[in-house]
Amino acid sequence: MEGSGSSASDHPSSSPPPSPSASKLLTNLPSRGLFSSSTVVSSNPGGMRVYVCEHETAPPEDQVIRTNQQNILIRSLMIKKQRGDSISKSGKGTTVAEGSRKRASERLSDAASAKRPNTQGGSQQEGSHSHLSDKDLHTLTVERLRALLKEKGLSAKGKKDELIARLKG
Amino acid sequence: MSVWNYVVTAHKPTNVTHSCVGNLTSPHELNLIIAKCTRIEIHLLTPQGLQPMLDVPIYGRISTLELFRPHGEAQDFLFIATERYKFCVLQWDAETSELVTRAMGDVSDRIGRPTDNGQIGIIDPDCRLIGLHLYDGLFKVIPFDNKGQLKEAFNIRLEELQVLDIKFLYGCSKPTIVVLYQDNRDARHVKTYEVVLKDKDFAEGPWSQNNVDNGADLLIPVPPPLCGVLIIGEETIVYCSANAFKAIPIRPSITKAYGRVDADGSRYLLGDHAGLLHLLVITHEKEKVTGLKIELLGETSIASTISYLDNAFVFIGSSYGDSQLIKLNLQPDSKGSYVEVLERYVNLGPIVDFCVVDLERQGQGQVVTCSGAYKDGSLRIVRNGIGINEQASVELQGIKGMWSLRSSVDDPYDTFLVVSFISETRILAMNLEDELEETEIEGFCSQVQTLFCHDAVHNQLVQVTSSSVRLVSALTRELRNEWFAPSGYAINVATANATQVLLATGGGNLVYLEIGDGVLKEVKHAQLEYEISCLDINPIGDNPLYSHLAAVGMWTDISIRIFSLPDLNLVTKQNLGGEIIPRSVLLCAFEGIYYLLCALGDGHLLNFLLNMSTDRPTVIYSSNKKLLYSNVNLKEVSHMCQFNSAAFPDSLAIAKEGELTIGTIDDIQKLHIRSIPLGEQARRICHQEQSRTFAVCCLKYSQSNAEETEMHYIRLLDDQTFEFMSTYPLDTFEYGCSILSCSFSDDSNVYYCVGTAYVLADENEPTKGRILVFLVEDGKLQLIAEKETKGAVYSLNAFNGKLLAAINQKIQLYKWMLRDETSRELQSECGHHGHILALYVQTRGDFIVVGDLMKSISLLIYKHEEGAIEERARDYNANWMSAVEILDDDTYLGAENNFNLFTVRKNSEGATDEERGRLEAVGEYHLGEFVNRFRHGSLVMRLPDSDVGQIPTIIFGTVNGVIGVIASLPHDQYVFLEKLQSNLRKVIKGVGGLSHDQWRSFNNEKKMVDARNFLDGDLIESFLDLTRGKMDEISRTMGVTVEELCKRVEELTRLH
Repeated sequence: MEGSGSSASDHPSSSPPPSPSASKLLTNLPSRGLFSSSTVVSSNPGGMRVYVCEHETAPPEDQVIRTNQQNILIRSLMIKKQRGDSISKSGKGTTVAEGSRKRASERLSDAASAKRPNTQGGSQQEGSHSHLSDKDLHTLTVERLRALLKEKGLSAKGKKDELIARLKG
Repeated sequence: MSVWNYVVTAHKPTNVTHSCVGNLTSPHELNLIIAKCTRIEIHLLTPQGLQPMLDVPIYGRISTLELFRPHGEAQDFLFIATERYKFCVLQWDAETSELVTRAMGDVSDRIGRPTDNGQIGIIDPDCRLIGLHLYDGLFKVIPFDNKGQLKEAFNIRLEELQVLDIKFLYGCSKPTIVVLYQDNRDARHVKTYEVVLKDKDFAEGPWSQNNVDNGADLLIPVPPPLCGVLIIGEETIVYCSANAFKAIPIRPSITKAYGRVDADGSRYLLGDHAGLLHLLVITHEKEKVTGLKIELLGETSIASTISYLDNAFVFIGSSYGDSQLIKLNLQPDSKGSYVEVLERYVNLGPIVDFCVVDLERQGQGQVVTCSGAYKDGSLRIVRNGIGINEQASVELQGIKGMWSLRSSVDDPYDTFLVVSFISETRILAMNLEDELEETEIEGFCSQVQTLFCHDAVHNQLVQVTSSSVRLVSALTRELRNEWFAPSGYAINVATANATQVLLATGGGNLVYLEIGDGVLKEVKHAQLEYEISCLDINPIGDNPLYSHLAAVGMWTDISIRIFSLPDLNLVTKQNLGGEIIPRSVLLCAFEGIYYLLCALGDGHLLNFLLNMSTDRPTVIYSSNKKLLYSNVNLKEVSHMCQFNSAAFPDSLAIAKEGELTIGTIDDIQKLHIRSIPLGEQARRICHQEQSRTFAVCCLKYSQSNAEETEMHYIRLLDDQTFEFMSTYPLDTFEYGCSILSCSFSDDSNVYYCVGTAYVLADENEPTKGRILVFLVEDGKLQLIAEKETKGAVYSLNAFNGKLLAAINQKIQLYKWMLRDETSRELQSECGHHGHILALYVQTRGDFIVVGDLMKSISLLIYKHEEGAIEERARDYNANWMSAVEILDDDTYLGAENNFNLFTVRKNSEGATDEERGRLEAVGEYHLGEFVNRFRHGSLVMRLPDSDVGQIPTIIFGTVNGVIGVIASLPHDQYVFLEKLQSNLRKVIKGVGGLSHDQWRSFNNEKKMVDARNFLDGDLIESFLDLTRGKMDEISRTMGVTVEELCKRVEELTRLH
């Protein structure tokens, strides 16, 4: 292109000149045999062919990706629930609440080292989604709890406490 | 102009945002993939260098570009995500040379706040999942199944709200991300998470690092065997992994881009905000990291992306300057730099401002842009035309004429180039080494100026000098015959073809000779009443060797006459009128139609009513039986002739001031760009015809003692040489915001007016500014007057012989008044309040159109009698404006910061005040580009007889370096093209399954509506690139022949 060659500017640079010690660091730069010709030709001339896409570009049917619309909180609750079911069946009793406490305490120590104690509260709340505790269940409305129970195929009748008990299985 | 608009790209985006290297087109081929915002370029790496393969338009603004290789695949796939939350996975099908969509999808969420720090898209190095961070507090996972197919995506809540970077770690048994984030006390930390696909949740990662560098905003994952991550800060670089921690201090800099050199990740290239390139080395003993080293290599453009290609060659992609191909040398050059720039790829972006000028007065605009930023700032002169690609050149002074000759009639190539000077003639010839060297033709007279030369039948050459016509054998080079002018008469002008010679001697004598084998025979003599100025006997009939017509241009009566040959009878005579003599005539044929072209001494080419300046070469060609003219990218050409030699096929020999050049001519007209590097950023530009200068608002960054300061200047440049003529420094903290060349009523001078603002760190909006009025005297900027304002002067317009300024929330009109006998000053006349920030102002008659920071477009009117400015109407939508322009009395065009264009219309016939006070949105369109400026004008020659000559156009310039054209079409043409566009949508598919409909739909935070009253010219013009079968298909559904469709689309391509 016209004049593009002349645009190699050499305005004063305020930076210090590179030190000569870089030479040994630049040895053995990887090469696969490309750019090996003694005269590397210009790649500018002519311009490129513009791609005009005449063929069908829809992806295979099962590869149109959508996002799982299930609420993160509910999804996590259900996964934990299933996990809990299988764990309690196998006789081991690690409860969900314990896991949550453990993470909270870890966070506490992190926060202490970062000297930012006032961020704890916020992050605790945000973090609680994945481990739905007793307390979290109590904060849900009866309607939500009933929906959860329905999803699990359990009976949705009874008082709030009963629902929670049933959800916790 | 009208509401039916056609938007087309004249210069494609050149801002390189992403790049990557991998095996896309074949398992054995290495490709460089470059993303230029809305386009992707695929290059092939070869032993000879970069070979361009394909330029792919993408219906979206690319936010992520990654190559990856799913399990079991032999070549890489390309992952692209767009800013409007679409993604696709592309595979190259080598058999059909097509891009095949492997997967695509929409990854938007209904709720969620878009991230402040840009969208992040990453792919697990073991190809287990794709991670996306698009909304604060959410991390989206698209898992792969074990066959490499994508599965349903899901979100994971991310505790960290202010995420700066996320990367996947190498060498982890479970996919693990590392997150760099800022807490709400502005401290920065790094944390790792394992992605547990089964639980669709995060688990605590193997390590974390609190309180890293306060300027850290880049993570570089290190591949096996070392693994871990580099945390790039402004003052330190840290290597971090589960069991190692190494840090080194660096000179304060902001790292903008990195490129991995070695596959094992022991060396990286880092590019910083000042364009300095560093090499970062991880020293290690086997798999144990022992330390870090960093070395400065040299300077490049400010990099936005770095890709190590091969064999010490590196691609530097830049958003602020030209992208570059560089080589890393083992030994530093004389300046101590290891970087050798081998090639620069022109980038106009960001176009901050531009102006349209017609410096050669040819009726064709050229655009002068303020391009680039920081140290890479420049002015770019963009003009349309046909290029001459220079192949060789020699310095030769005083060329008066040039002709090419063949050594024999059968020779397909020219051998000799006869160059005539005022008192001698020299002959150049191609020697066996294909070099041009001086030679002699013994039969030629070389002591005098040659008037004309030509090949003749029977392997002869003809030379005409002022005294004689010489016939020379091309084989022996000896004189065979000579015809002498009658004594007392000198030959003034002459012309010849293979068998005929026509010459004019003083006193209006016209002599016609015929060439035989070794014989020159005077056939006819005619006496004309005036002196002859030019002649032509170019054969245009069936016989390519013999002409039956001669064209003659005359002095005195300023006429062109056509004579028949051989009898020299006058066939016709055409008086040209006027007082400018014909300088050159040519008989020629295009597409079987005969033309007589006549160039006049003042640069007009007659019979076809077009401008052709004598020192600006123009290419004339014919298409669809219409003559088209195209400028050539050369200046001050005195002589030109064909020179078709074996070494330089189909070339032209061109004589310029002191130079002889041989070059080939482009077969298509395209934009040519000339760069004027400034070393500082130009922000506003304006041309003044009277002083033949440009004035530019510039800012220069300078770094002293780690303290970055910026100074703003007003610079005056010559409009031909682009040299700085004069500089006016602004005060400290004072920014140049607007510039205008204008004159005032009762004052014949033309001034430059500059609006400024004092930008102080503790003020949200500037509260003080100035309007400076300069006069150009003796090539210097003289400050004539200055006026203090109560805010930033964002815009200046000439308005009814006064000056209209937009100052913060106010529009203010100033009169130019006599202060005393000799000096003048600006006096405030009236104003209008009620904007948030009146950033962009255009005027037409008494109407003022204001583009507000956030309140879209409003229309004001100036009332002369009352001396007041009042609001007439406004658009009640909340659009954050980036540019406005007036299309016609009632229609206004706006661009806003979500990359949309829209038009609004005044409703003068509304029944109520409320209706009349509303600007109704009539056109909406997603351009996908951030427009910084609209200007009326055209990039092509607007000839009165062409169809497109009547179509008004606006030029726009964008951040990505796009120069585009908006043309207002007549309604019937718009309807026709809209139909064509909807048919093309069915035939031309969006790459990756992205939809054109959705891409062009107007889209901002509040609404998304289909495009209307705007057409996508890029799509419509790609009709010409379709295969014949698809053209036929469209032709059938449109009910219009393919030829007619091609003709109508081709006409549109002449708008740019």
